[in-house]
Amino acid sequence: MSVDGLTLERVPEQPLTLDAALSEEAVLSTYRRMFAALARDSGAVVDDPVLVDIAETLFSAFAEAGEEWLTHEQMRFACRAYPADQFDNRLRVLKGLGAVREVFPKPNQLRYRASFTSVVGLMFIRRMMDDGGQSEMHRLLALEDLNVADPRTTMEEARQSAVNLARAFRLWALELVTLTTGTIEELREQAPKLWGTEEIARRAQGLHGTILTRWPELDRVCTDLRAAIYAYSDASRRAAGRLADSAGTTRNLTLLPTETWRTFSQTATKERLAAVLDGFLFDAPAPWHDPAAVARAVDEAPRPAPVQPTPPRSTLPDPGPEGSLDTSQSAATERLAQVAESLLGEASRVALADVIGSDWPSARRLLADLTTVDLRPELPYRLVWSDELSVDPGREPAWLSHGHLERTA
Amino acid sequence: MKPSALAHARARSCGPLPLGPGAPAPAGMTRLTRADSTGQALPAWPDGATPSLLEEYQVPPVAVERSGETRRVLATVLKCCWTDLSVDPWPGVPAPVELVLDTYRALIGRTDDLMRNWAVGALRRLHDSAWVAVHDGLVSLGPRCALWPVESHAQLQELVRRIPEPDRAELTVVADADIVAAAEPAPGGGMRAETGAAEFDDLLGGYDERRRAELVAAYMAVEHAAEPVQEARFAALRDPALRHTLAEMLARRGRVLVQHRERWTSGYDDGCAPALEPHGPAAEGWALGVSERAVLTLVLVHSVAIPRAEGLLPEDSWLSPHPTPVEELRRHTQVPIGELESALRVLRHAGLLTQVKAGEEAGGYVPGPQFHRLTPAARRRLQEELILAAGPHTPLAAAVRARRSAP
Repeated sequence: MSVDGLTLERVPEQPLTLDAALSEEAVLSTYRRMFAALARDSGAVVDDPVLVDIAETLFSAFAEAGEEWLTHEQMRFACRAYPADQFDNRLRVLKGLGAVREVFPKPNQLRYRASFTSVVGLMFIRRMMDDGGQSEMHRLLALEDLNVADPRTTMEEARQSAVNLARAFRLWALELVTLTTGTIEELREQAPKLWGTEEIARRAQGLHGTILTRWPELDRVCTDLRAAIYAYSDASRRAAGRLADSAGTTRNLTLLPTETWRTFSQTATKERLAAVLDGFLFDAPAPWHDPAAVARAVDEAPRPAPVQPTPPRSTLPDPGPEGSLDTSQSAATERLAQVAESLLGEASRVALADVIGSDWPSARRLLADLTTVDLRPELPYRLVWSDELSVDPGREPAWLSHGHLERTA
Repeated sequence: MKPSALAHARARSCGPLPLGPGAPAPAGMTRLTRADSTGQALPAWPDGATPSLLEEYQVPPVAVERSGETRRVLATVLKCCWTDLSVDPWPGVPAPVELVLDTYRALIGRTDDLMRNWAVGALRRLHDSAWVAVHDGLVSLGPRCALWPVESHAQLQELVRRIPEPDRAELTVVADADIVAAAEPAPGGGMRAETGAAEFDDLLGGYDERRRAELVAAYMAVEHAAEPVQEARFAALRDPALRHTLAEMLARRGRVLVQHRERWTSGYDDGCAPALEPHGPAAEGWALGVSERAVLTLVLVHSVAIPRAEGLLPEDSWLSPHPTPVEELRRHTQVPIGELESALRVLRHAGLLTQVKAGEEAGGYVPGPQFHRLTPAARRRLQEELILAAGPHTPLAAAVRARRSAP
């Protein structure tokens, strides 16, 4: 992954803060370390994390394209978010290293495909980024464990695996030792990625035991491996010890991940939670109630609420309009009978058109009364409607359906 | 550490100290003797000071939960129990709870159930802090009432006269006197408070009147203020020589000065906890139960450890502006809901938790002002205990264990 000496411009819209610069530097240092074994010379590894993002974007575009492959234009389109010169540079490097190749090795080939190996490599890098290789070590140990237990494994293979592991542990321990003697800030930052949990040490020792039981001849290699595991556990403990000593009074809480704290708070039993505070002395509640404060509290007591005063009343007797309305059943019937009689007079039948007059609001009230009269069987009056309808726009009401009020008794 | 210093530490952490028959009170304590010559001991303050002294320096004392209501109920208890105003209020005579509640009702003029619940809650808080003793349906004045200075008795008498008598003659089925007589065959006789010898005279004697007053003021401030007090406000904290004497005074009570930049408070000497430990949680007196400690740990995890791990808490302190939501405690922990509410109440009352209100639903609890009083060693130990509990298999826990097992 060489940049071939090109100078690159940073994406301009992101202002570079100190934090951002630090985290980018951390990312790059992992990349550099990852590919140090492959680099031609120092400085040949990417120096901007954006370049790795371009590669990742490209690979996912290839995955989506399938057997259609991708042309140069399509690749450019997939990476349209990045500046053209960065993209060109990246493509040249990826092609140079064989991560992106022509579909058929012919001149003027327009379609390209991506290399599976490079994609897997990138996945591996991203995972290494997260925990500095701890989980890789877990996987590696689990795989090696399976390998050495496999009856097909030869002694030579087992020896090789023990040697490799011993070397990895030794280097890991060395890095921790260096950190432990360095600044406390760097140790705090890096140590949790590097130090081994008891589980890694236990697994490694299990693997060591398996190899030694199966091939007792390998005892010399196994001694080396054992020494490396111990050195690593010791370095982990020493790094943790230095942090514990320099921690202040809450600072080390940062060294456990948030998830660990959440799991603890959600799953720990009441007794386990309570045990944390065993042996701490706290004050019993002992507030001071000064006599003056007690007297003040009594003075400020909410007073009994006074009874609501009634509104003032007039001194003169005033019965009000109550009683002026006759609400009895017969009163309504009498009124309706009066209405009907006043319309009929002496006659036994009158045409409605003659009696309602031209004032619609009062005609309306009258019609309502008459309908009520009609609907009361005990009253001896009926309305009889004919089919006739006369329309006269100049008159009020303009639409008139004709009918008669009749006396039935 | 001296036994008297330990006794003071115990009295501060568990409430009034029980004393066997004839056993003398430790130095610097007032002995409250019962008829059978057993008794209780309570720390007395130098030169007749009380925590009211803090008001003169405008330093807020430890907050009292629902202070108005609590003090009105205390006044009511005083009214019911202090029947003979010609003698000291403590011990007084026991009174039935119902009489106290009726008197309280007459005082505030409310008769609803809510009022009754509030009054019962206040009685419980007063009982927990040894201001009253509620036992078998009877209420009597608690040991702390014996600490009211004699000069203030006139004010209390005047207060008692002002509180109205309850109107309850025809309601009582059993006469109050019979209830009291049935519960306690020999009421109150022979109980007396004996003030202990002046404890700090050899330390304070060499100082003139003004310096002596400054020392006492600083002593009261670091011991009883809610928060650490400003060094600049107290001469005895500014001046290294006076501060040294102050530290000696505190040491006699099993206490040490705790510094937070330019502010000071006091805390338990680190030697106290292990020395008191063999006695276990005090059989008598106040102690945090399992669920209270569990809830307190949960709040420490949510308000301190998690914000710390996320880099949200810059200060190296056990206090935190990040409240633990009550919902989180209710839904996502192994603490039964029924125990949660009462645990929160106890912790709040003791100043171990502070309730933070924010809107209708938000808000929750943060570690309370007592966490100011942890010494650096105690704070470090708290961190280690949390790490040991939450991540027992991490190298960090291994390092903690290794250091502890080292000679």
